[in-house]
Amino acid sequence: MSRAKVINNVLELENVSLGYDKVIYSAINASAKSGEMIAVVGANGMGKSTLLRSLSGIIKYHRGIIRIDGENVSSYTPGELSIKISYVPSQSPRTKNLSLFDMVAAGCYNRSNWLGIIDNKEREFVNSTITKVGLTDFINRDSSMLSDGEFQRAAIARSLVQNSKIMLLDEPTAFLDIANRITTVKLLKEIASKEGKTIIFSTHDLLQAIKLCDKIWVMGHECFIEGTPGELIEKGAFDKMFKDSSLKFDSELFTFL
Amino acid sequence: MGWYIFIFISLIIFILLNLTLGSVIVPVKEIFNFFTGENTSKFVQDIMIPYRIPKVITAILSGVALSVCGLQMQTLFRNPLADPFILGISSGAGLGVAIFVMGFSAFGITLTSSLLASVGTAAAAWLGAFAVTILLLMVSSKLRDNTSLLIFGIMLGSVVSAVISLMQYFSSSSALKVFVLWTMGSFSGLNPAQIWVLFSLVLVGLALSVYNIKDLNALLMGEAYARSLGVNLENTRKRILVATTLLAGSVTAFCGPIGFIGIAVPHIARMLFRNADHKVLLPSAALLGAVIMVFADTIAQLPGQPGVIPINTVSALIGVPIILLIVLKSRFV
Repeated sequence: MSRAKVINNVLELENVSLGYDKVIYSAINASAKSGEMIAVVGANGMGKSTLLRSLSGIIKYHRGIIRIDGENVSSYTPGELSIKISYVPSQSPRTKNLSLFDMVAAGCYNRSNWLGIIDNKEREFVNSTITKVGLTDFINRDSSMLSDGEFQRAAIARSLVQNSKIMLLDEPTAFLDIANRITTVKLLKEIASKEGKTIIFSTHDLLQAIKLCDKIWVMGHECFIEGTPGELIEKGAFDKMFKDSSLKFDSELFTFL
Repeated sequence: MGWYIFIFISLIIFILLNLTLGSVIVPVKEIFNFFTGENTSKFVQDIMIPYRIPKVITAILSGVALSVCGLQMQTLFRNPLADPFILGISSGAGLGVAIFVMGFSAFGITLTSSLLASVGTAAAAWLGAFAVTILLLMVSSKLRDNTSLLIFGIMLGSVVSAVISLMQYFSSSSALKVFVLWTMGSFSGLNPAQIWVLFSLVLVGLALSVYNIKDLNALLMGEAYARSLGVNLENTRKRILVATTLLAGSVTAFCGPIGFIGIAVPHIARMLFRNADHKVLLPSAALLGAVIMVFADTIAQLPGQPGVIPINTVSALIGVPIILLIVLKSRFV
């Protein structure tokens, strides 16, 4: 029975402390199933990005265990980990004269040959993914010339091409206007529900998180709380997000908003 | 494809020009005769075999090596101005030579043109370059981001230069002259054995560089993302640094520190091909490097004059305007 539970959770965090030399956030207990869309919320500087970067294996964490598919994250090689988890930074560097196709095709790193050349099947997959994010018209354009919204969707496409079970996104909508925000979030929701991928993203948009996500991870001032949006509102978990705020994030406030 | 043909044709033209021009002008017809094995005069053979052909081969190897080296460093450090000189690898080579040349003079031995001097100089430069690279490798696992590594390299270069200045101050004038001549850079004076050694080292460096292409392309996406793609960052960094030492260290050992080509040529390749893919950039930078170095050497030998200008003077005159143009024209290259 317990074994079935382990397989059910694609991601588990057990008493995890973030930070390298110095602990910046401690006692994180959380889990994620496939097809779940999870938002990470918290005040500025709480360590949302550090949490995502620790999950992705980019940086080391201090203590505790992060398990992906039941195995400790640190037991995976970078190659093995890239099949399990992908990471979209809040702002990827732009490279001049790199076509959108080549940028997205970079996601095939693990499946390309030693020179980085991909076969026709993979090319087809890259093309269809670019279509999925709605950028077909830009396929041969210089990726550095895309607008912020288009570039973010291209980065998501690149991550989709990587074809990992879990997608981590660091504030995917932070630099986008309202129209692009909605398009991006809709796209993520679709990916989670149709393809069964686990999507974990950090955001400052609490309303969006409550409306769209199956679960929210609240990095509060005193402690880390995991729950469904309904549970969290009931518990008053969002009240503890900000240190000097008297705001009560109850259903009344959300009706007002 | 068009540019490749253009570059290749200009390479052949510049090689012919390089062989023709010099203190004595050899007509192109004589050069064709020489290569087809038809009746060439003893005079032409005496110029070609020991002097001009080794020199043009050395120039081609240096141009290819320095350009491919600069390209990889620019990508690794995400810095359009990175190259072996900035990172202190050439300074390390300089320190090796300085210790060898001026160290001997401290014991009252003067090395001028003996075999020991030329082989020893090359070995010393190579060891110096290698020492700096090993230091960079050790530090690179401690310094997490590349900007810090770049600053470390620059500082290291400055310290090494200061030590060299100090040694120059205390060394004899004859040793000083040998050292200063090495720093000016030159493609002449390599014997066939040395050329074979240089050729082999550059070939190994190039092979490793071609193997690096896939990871270099991944690094364009940023280090964090490259890591998430499955790139083993530490291994990749090491592979790139080993390739760059093989390329830059070997050229510096045999020809002296040659500046500006490593920075400028990759940018010319980017401007011509408008493609960030290293599968395109690496071969085009290699070819362009060869063209520009052969051209620089042709100018350095001052056609019709007996003297030779230091290759570093010519490479600066060619390279610096290109670098300035890049800095002024676009902020991110």
